[in-house]
Amino acid sequence: MSKKASIDTTQWDTAVEISGVTKIFTQWQRENSSRGVLRNLFKPQKKIITALDDVSLTVKRGEFVAYAGPNGAGKSTTMKLLAGMLQPTTGSVKVMELSPDKDRIKLMKRLGVLFGNRTELWWDHPVSQSFEWKKVVWAIPDEVYKRNLEMVTELLDIGDLLKTFTRELSLGQRMKADLALLLLHSPEVILLDEPTLGLDVVAKRQMINFLKKINRENNVTIIVTSHDMDDLEEMAQRILMIANGKIAYDGDFDGLRSIAQNSTKVIVTTDTGVTEYEINLQTNPINSLLRRLSEVEGIRDVEIKKAPIEAVIAELYRGWRGA
Amino acid sequence: MAKQILSLYKLYLKMDIAWLFRDAKTAFLMIIADVLSNLSAVTGIFLLAWRFDGIGGMSRHEVLFMLAYSTILTGIFQTFFCGGNTAHISRVIGRGQLEHAFIQPLPLFVQWLTSGFIPISGSSNLISGIVIMIIALNQLDLVLPWWWIFSLVANLIITTALILAQSYLSASLAFYAPVQAEEISTIVIDEFAYIGNFPLSGMPKLLQISLITIIPTGLLAWFPTLALFGKTPFGITAWYPLFFAIILWIIALYFFKKGLKYYVKKGINRYHPMGHRR
Repeated sequence: MSKKASIDTTQWDTAVEISGVTKIFTQWQRENSSRGVLRNLFKPQKKIITALDDVSLTVKRGEFVAYAGPNGAGKSTTMKLLAGMLQPTTGSVKVMELSPDKDRIKLMKRLGVLFGNRTELWWDHPVSQSFEWKKVVWAIPDEVYKRNLEMVTELLDIGDLLKTFTRELSLGQRMKADLALLLLHSPEVILLDEPTLGLDVVAKRQMINFLKKINRENNVTIIVTSHDMDDLEEMAQRILMIANGKIAYDGDFDGLRSIAQNSTKVIVTTDTGVTEYEINLQTNPINSLLRRLSEVEGIRDVEIKKAPIEAVIAELYRGWRGA
Repeated sequence: MAKQILSLYKLYLKMDIAWLFRDAKTAFLMIIADVLSNLSAVTGIFLLAWRFDGIGGMSRHEVLFMLAYSTILTGIFQTFFCGGNTAHISRVIGRGQLEHAFIQPLPLFVQWLTSGFIPISGSSNLISGIVIMIIALNQLDLVLPWWWIFSLVANLIITTALILAQSYLSASLAFYAPVQAEEISTIVIDEFAYIGNFPLSGMPKLLQISLITIIPTGLLAWFPTLALFGKTPFGITAWYPLFFAIILWIIALYFFKKGLKYYVKKGINRYHPMGHRR
């Protein structure tokens, strides 16, 4: 990419470092009865929720990390801790070696945060006005602003949206405009919480390709949460899975398949018909499988399908719930 | 920082003009509605003062001056602090919108000092108030020293600070009860502005003292008006509102910071986009 979004002048290798972080919330509860109402007047019923339980993790510079887990696992809590919106009950959080609490202003000049269900755009103004707002608030130098604006306009194909009022945009258009806004100050680390929420296939593809491009070519570190596992697999090289407030898995997607012991499907088409096999590639290496297949008489086609990541994850979630 | 604050004011001025004049018909209707609403707000009390030839020792035109002072005060408040609910801060806290402020690379006070600036759409009270004040001063036929205008501006700044302190103090509750206290700043501001329009002269002393100490609505327009005419009640110094504002701000900041710490520790399980950006 000829148009680089970030000019890196700092020395740091660890994009995110979370050490021994525990985050505890109190949840109000009440029985739905007159007795429950009365009892709550004098002794409110509260439940302690441990959203994160002694979590430690590190994300290196330039990584593209998927952060996944079932509902209520602690994903958004982690994102909020990294963005300085929350503070941990215990433990420490560092982003680009800065504390989101103590160095908030310094950090926000270099960090990009996008929550899929929120917007930073101004509703009753054209999209370009929100961009200008960002330029002033972030004190973005003219040449950086101009270069980044050209880049996001071209790569996200939002030229036609610049004059449109935000309230007139569709959800997909709004998300693209929000992502463009996020990138105007050349963030070095980006936190995306459900960025593909509600997007159609075309918009989703455009956003995924764009994120992969800025990660690959501009060395931008990206941490993304989503419930769409196929999207995550397509975007990220590494997946961090959280369950019951703890890191349950940290590795690549194939490793996740192997721990879930999910079989690979091999569909063999011969003169006599189509046969489907389920094979564990750990016990049956691919080279021996291919050798055996080559010996089969009248073979016309072979299709090898990895276990769908959605199925693998669903199996894991079920297991964690039962644990 | 000062340069960036000025840039932010310039930006919000531009955005406010663009917002109000997005189409001529809407802009015209909004301006007419605002002027009528401002005039009707002061008419009732002025008619009473006219009918009874003044209220409690204050002449008709002194009452008119007080109403003008109150209207200008509301105007300043609306012009500088009503965009994005920066004055009605309990809405921002209660709706979980503080998180938008945390991700901006600006100190919170700079954000709240500037993002509320709506000098065009919020200035109708200010303009109406200035017009009413000029009429009142002409009718009062006073010979005022040159520095009187600075005294007037200082009083207006102090009373604006008082309203803001009350708003931020009451909004501290929204950190602990976001749903229940979401509108508390608005209620406090509106109630104080409503009571603050009444001339307290002639009222029982106990009531007057209560309304400049416990519930300080008398400091919003009545006390400053008398102070500006050199007639402070009970012989209290004209600086009294300044001391009161300083103490109120110290208390407000203490509780607000405490609430903010609670917010980032406990989090808020609520998000509502209403009123965020416009």
